[in-house]
Amino acid sequence: MSALAPAALVALLTGLLSYQVTREFTLFNALNLAGGGLGLAWAGARGLHGLAQRSRGAPHSGLARGAARVLFCLIAAAGIERLAARTLPPADLSFERAFELSPALKDALAEMPAPLEALLFYDAADRRVRRSRLLLEALAQAGPVEVRLVDLARDPELAQQFELDASAASSNQIVLVLGEHWEPVERASEASLYESLYRLLRREEATLVVLRGEGEGSLESVEEDGYSGFVTALLTEGYRVEGRVSASLAEIPPGTDAVVALAPQRRLLPHSLDALRRYLAEGGRLVALLEPGRESGLEEVLAEWGITAPPGLLVVDPASAPLDRNRGRGVDVLAYGYESQHRVTRGLDADRVTLFPGVRPLDLRKPASGDRLTRMVLSSPRSFVSDDLGWLSRSGAPEPGAQAPERRTLVASGRYERGGRETRIVAFGDADCASNRYLRSLYNLDLLLNSVHWATERTQAITLRPKALRGTLQFPVPLQNSLTAFYGIGLLLPELLLIAGLWVGLRRRQS
Amino acid sequence: MRAFLALVRKESAQLFGTPIAYLAATLIALVTALIFFDHLRAYNLTLFLVTTQTTGGFDLGTIPEHVNLWDSVFSPVLDSLGLMLVGVLPLVTMRVFAEERLRGTEELLLGLGLRPWTIVAAKFVVTQLFVVLLLAVAFVYPVTAIEQGGIGFQHMTAVFLGLLALASGIASIGLACSAFSSSQLISAVSGWALAFLLWDFSWAASLFGDGAAAALEPFALHPRFAAFGEGLVDFADLAYFLGLGLVGAALARFSFDLRRAGGL
Repeated sequence: MSALAPAALVALLTGLLSYQVTREFTLFNALNLAGGGLGLAWAGARGLHGLAQRSRGAPHSGLARGAARVLFCLIAAAGIERLAARTLPPADLSFERAFELSPALKDALAEMPAPLEALLFYDAADRRVRRSRLLLEALAQAGPVEVRLVDLARDPELAQQFELDASAASSNQIVLVLGEHWEPVERASEASLYESLYRLLRREEATLVVLRGEGEGSLESVEEDGYSGFVTALLTEGYRVEGRVSASLAEIPPGTDAVVALAPQRRLLPHSLDALRRYLAEGGRLVALLEPGRESGLEEVLAEWGITAPPGLLVVDPASAPLDRNRGRGVDVLAYGYESQHRVTRGLDADRVTLFPGVRPLDLRKPASGDRLTRMVLSSPRSFVSDDLGWLSRSGAPEPGAQAPERRTLVASGRYERGGRETRIVAFGDADCASNRYLRSLYNLDLLLNSVHWATERTQAITLRPKALRGTLQFPVPLQNSLTAFYGIGLLLPELLLIAGLWVGLRRRQS
Repeated sequence: MRAFLALVRKESAQLFGTPIAYLAATLIALVTALIFFDHLRAYNLTLFLVTTQTTGGFDLGTIPEHVNLWDSVFSPVLDSLGLMLVGVLPLVTMRVFAEERLRGTEELLLGLGLRPWTIVAAKFVVTQLFVVLLLAVAFVYPVTAIEQGGIGFQHMTAVFLGLLALASGIASIGLACSAFSSSQLISAVSGWALAFLLWDFSWAASLFGDGAAAALEPFALHPRFAAFGEGLVDFADLAYFLGLGLVGAALARFSFDLRRAGGL
């Protein structure tokens, strides 16, 4: 080898190392890389020239065969890699199963009218980008998505084009682009990706009238007991949400696809209830979320449609633990019993649990023979009913008394054919399940949104949404245990290896 | 086959008969333990500070998203360990072919009727087995510490597989470099240079533009290895590292042809 080659190698190595350490391309890097590269090229050319001279007249078949073998191995390696990329999907062994896309995301991708571009803005020092990129690549494998990485330092204009701050603060920001429309992704998570995709799809809107004025939950409040999260989810999934003061409602406005009642605390005025009755009789849709202990008059309307919801009762399921120290055992019901044939609950099962913090029981009886009433969500067979609502704010274990435990209906639906029109009702024995605090717990969001979709006959939108798993890897690893392991294994092993190495070295020297 | 096994025995005895193998294992195990412990300590401290400064304790949503075990502990440790492998493995592989060539024992082996492929295969197998042993030793402490945290072994399996694939790829590069030189120093330096050249091609963007960097990226080591750290086992990435081994072995075999033709 030419004497130039080692010097060229060192120059090349220095150039690469200094770049990897500083991540900056300076004159020092450039000179080293250029000098090293040129030096190696020169040494290589001289080596080839020397080889040609030394082997002049000798047969070249061995050399050609060797070169062909290298070429064949290169092609075989590239072929195997491409074959694996095309035929074998990556295996997600991550703790959170972070790269397994939900059915909802795949459905939304399948609906895309044109290929989607996913821009990931990054700062070179941001480690989070790696995971976001893998998530986007998983998305690209599931549908027509082109992933593009944008270095904020190199392309600040593009960041500004999408109203982003062209600094490291915008790192890990994803923007989805579909034709002329674009949507920022709030967080680099599957759930946020889904919401942005959904907004991009711009499905046809439906109108929901949400009753207010009788102590219903606040649609604007971002507090834990507010319902702003539910409203945002409805807006994301293509609903126009109109809050209407029920006292001023002589009629439900024409064009309303469904009426939503969110935990009214006081009794609705008679004319409001009559307006609702007329609306339902003409094929209207109602999603009613009731709270135990509150009588709003909706109970009477529901009873006319075969759904009885006694306000003074509470479902107690001893299989569920209380959410708070000051609540009775079993009043915060974790439900895992679902009607498997109903379109809304078909995807839910014993592993997809919903949470109802304080729920009243529903009883069903068909008003007419052709009506279809369904017990959509049920408590466990160990449940019973208590008439002591004090358990909602008192610790202890409610007793079943003489009544036999049985499954209780927590959510029910009804379909009624009247005069060629179909009325649809979904009744929840609890409204807290839709509050900001519990909306994204377990499968509550899916149950609620799918119920609204079913009521408004947008059944193609019924799906299971990505779960926003947060904090799963945010627990402390006990330092004391780690310290024991550190001394016990972390330091002991290298020590033993070093002793073995020294022993081998000494023996070698002696021999 | 008998000749191959005899060569494997000889190579193993040579490898474990020199202190360099033990020193390499010591270095990898010690640095892994130190870096891991330091990041774990810093992570616990950050978590403690965050949870005491917010009222929510360990409730979801009260801890910033970036404070998590993967971003604070595993990801930096893996990157450091990956770079350390680039630094250490060429020191292990530098002597494998170069030493034989310098002493002339390679000629002796060929004179005994051993085929070049047998020699190459035996050296590759022993070196790759050593790589497995090296990483297994380095992994004992992190696995023990994390097992107590209840994260589960599936993710750790992916991480181990990724590091193993990366180490195997770097070892193949080092072996190929060793086969083209009779100087151990040049073998090591060229092994480092080639491994750093292939580490990632972001430097190429500054020299030749984004297009060139993007075109070269499928050949880079780091992006292929990084996905394993996130728990994602991509079989195309495994095939890439396997391909590196295959091409490395073919190049080592080619060095015999080149030598016969008078080029080395």
